[in-house]
Amino acid sequence: MRWQFANDIKEYMNQGHLACPGCGGAYAMRLALKALGKNTIVVIPACCWSIIDGPFPLHCLEVPVYHTAFETAAVVASGIRAALDIKGKTDIEVLAFAGDGGTLDIGIQALSAACERNEKIIYACYDNEAYMNTGIQRSSATPYGAWTTTTPRENFKKERKKNISEIIAAHRIPYVATASIGFPDDLILKFKKAKEVKGTAFIHIFAPCPTGWRMAPELMIKISQLAVDCKIFPLYEVFDGVKYNINYQPKNIPVKEYLRLQGRFSHLTEKEIETIQKEVDDNWEILIKKTRI
Amino acid sequence: MKKLDLKVKDYPELAVSWEKTLINKTGTWRTFYPKYFPKTPPCNYYCPANENIQKYIALTLKGALEEAYLTILEKNPFPSITGRVCYHPCETGCNRSNFDESIAIHMIERFLGDYGLNFVEPKRKSEKIDNNKKVAIIGSGPSGLSCAYYLLLNGIKVTILEREEDAGGILFYGIPSYRLPKEILKSEIEKLTKRGAKFIFKKELGKDFSLVDLTKEYDAVFLAIGAQIEQELGIPNEEAKGVLMGLDFLKEVNLKRKIKNFGKNVLVIGGGNTAIDCARVALRKGAKVKIIYRRTKEEMPAVKEEVEEAIKEGVEIIFLTAPVKIIKNKRGEVRGLECVKMKLSGEVDETGRRKPVPIRNSNFIIKGDTIIKAIGERVDLSILPKEIIGKKTIFADEYGKTNMEKVFAGGDCVTGPKTVVEAIAYGRKSAYLILHYLKNYEIPKKESFNLVSYENLNLYYFEKQKRIEENKLPINKRKRNFKEIITAVSDQEIRYEASRCFSCGVCNNCDNCYVFCPDLAILKKNGEYEILYDYCKGCGVCAHECPRNVISMFFEEEK
Repeated sequence: MRWQFANDIKEYMNQGHLACPGCGGAYAMRLALKALGKNTIVVIPACCWSIIDGPFPLHCLEVPVYHTAFETAAVVASGIRAALDIKGKTDIEVLAFAGDGGTLDIGIQALSAACERNEKIIYACYDNEAYMNTGIQRSSATPYGAWTTTTPRENFKKERKKNISEIIAAHRIPYVATASIGFPDDLILKFKKAKEVKGTAFIHIFAPCPTGWRMAPELMIKISQLAVDCKIFPLYEVFDGVKYNINYQPKNIPVKEYLRLQGRFSHLTEKEIETIQKEVDDNWEILIKKTRI
Repeated sequence: MKKLDLKVKDYPELAVSWEKTLINKTGTWRTFYPKYFPKTPPCNYYCPANENIQKYIALTLKGALEEAYLTILEKNPFPSITGRVCYHPCETGCNRSNFDESIAIHMIERFLGDYGLNFVEPKRKSEKIDNNKKVAIIGSGPSGLSCAYYLLLNGIKVTILEREEDAGGILFYGIPSYRLPKEILKSEIEKLTKRGAKFIFKKELGKDFSLVDLTKEYDAVFLAIGAQIEQELGIPNEEAKGVLMGLDFLKEVNLKRKIKNFGKNVLVIGGGNTAIDCARVALRKGAKVKIIYRRTKEEMPAVKEEVEEAIKEGVEIIFLTAPVKIIKNKRGEVRGLECVKMKLSGEVDETGRRKPVPIRNSNFIIKGDTIIKAIGERVDLSILPKEIIGKKTIFADEYGKTNMEKVFAGGDCVTGPKTVVEAIAYGRKSAYLILHYLKNYEIPKKESFNLVSYENLNLYYFEKQKRIEENKLPINKRKRNFKEIITAVSDQEIRYEASRCFSCGVCNNCDNCYVFCPDLAILKKNGEYEILYDYCKGCGVCAHECPRNVISMFFEEEK
């Protein structure tokens, strides 16, 4: 494999940030900023990243960061955008960088509104599939079968994961994409594309949390690659809410291999794994059908 | 930089951070630390000469052919020869063989070897011949030539004594030219002569000179006489006309002499490389050939590819059959061979193979007018002084030190019949011992190996790729001639093959560690990486994502 973008030595993030070892979210930011560069303002609501960035007076990014309330990432980003536009600074990109809780649950109305107005912002959701920062509570991004502290073993989560990309695509914004930190070049390329669109761009990033997923930190990348190759988290783009494009052909690995590496799924029976496999296969079929529209 | 211990009144109304997180030394969180810890690729490990194969493949890929060639020369002076005749255990060990197909290392070696034939290496300072140190080498086979090369490289005056009229020993007289063309061998020897090797032909140990004479004249003597005597079958009528010795037969053919008592129906006895060579040579001489071997194909000591080629060319192999008696007519000419059927017993012999035992009353006759014996060679001990003789060969340590002052020995005459590459390796080791003896050189330390296994690789970053195919002379064009069977391949093909190398255990700057570090704790500078231990949290992602197992994690000891 030869790197196209990811091995660029320009970095916009500093060492000494406060993410756990093997943090997918921290790594996602590193890649996002590689794509967007110095002329970026980052808006961070309550999420892991409000900790990762460091306590006052510390700060780990080489670009301005605006810490804001849980539900307001999209609206604050819209506001900053408006202010920049008034000042004529249209070359500055505004990136809202929120967790799955701040996007799928708490921030969804602000995000929906921003999409409806087609604000010229990039909204990235780094999805670690639960409220990790506050102690691994379930979110609507937690997948079926997962253990969290609020869905303990015998009462593991029975509901399916909310499909945020579809919800946002339904707003018919110019660009929606899914990305995985296991595919850095693909992720960077998507941020570059997002920068170019006229209107809102939404990028849903698969970002594992070794702490909350009960797995070894060195598996951070492997698990992100597996999620894609098992079709649990396919890599695709949606242009204008209708035009689908699959970016990577999965290697068709059984979901079992993905699930078995994580302690949060260790209680699942063969039958439950089969259920997950079936759902994953069905979802893939639906996605394929959408690409044919 | 503003001070961090601010008074409450100094705090701004709107909290704006001003200090970088660089003051957080997150390295203190670590329990395990990563380290660039290069390891031994299996090819290097399994090469009897310990060539740095991974290195020369990487250099070939870069297009640095000169450097690649010189890398081989550090361990093996004759890549054009081994690239052709070596049984390449490197490829058997190659990790890629578990993934798709092993790298065609022998083809890359041969390519570089052929490149080197036209390449004049820059002379080193150490090569200035020191006239006070003279070494005689007896025998110009692979170990003798290899020893000569490494001695010359270090300024020793070398004289090679050879009983035949051409240099090369087994390489010239044993290996048929369809495997190793004579021009290739000649060019290699010419290169050695240019370096200053002096050859004296038609001088035979025991006849024209003795070992003691040489020790008086020279500062050291290296015995590399090989294992040249064909073993007897020990069955009746072995003296019949038409019974030939394997190596003698090959020698006569290689000298293009007419062979006495050579008929149309040839029976070759044995299952080693000599037997296969004899059979294929006899075939090219226009005969019908059958090989008689007492075990099965699995146990044949000959190189598998050679056996397959022989069968393709039309050699018939009769397995599980042993000779009992040679049948001759009144004039004493061979007319056939009485054989007995064998079966493999449960018992395992000293070679680790199942022992064949004859089946009673299963005798039968195979017709034939020529029998070639090729059941193994032994060392001619009659020409050697008693004190250096061991059990069946010369007694020497792994560097070739014998019990006689000034006398060293290496190659087949010490190990018994083995392979060309092993003889070359022995020659090199002995050369360093002789240098130690004459010039007090340090003997190269034994390399320690930390082998990379297939399980240690991260295969996610590799794709299946087909191995390049050898260009082979079609079977119908091999009849009645000794043209080289395997012909050269193009630069592009070699470059492609080199690109398939996993580079096990050796960093090739793929950038994975740099790209995937979530803590930015790996710096990339001028193609080198540096781990910032102040910040590395020890997550292990770099070690896990390294495709070639260069990075290892170690326990952070309590300090």
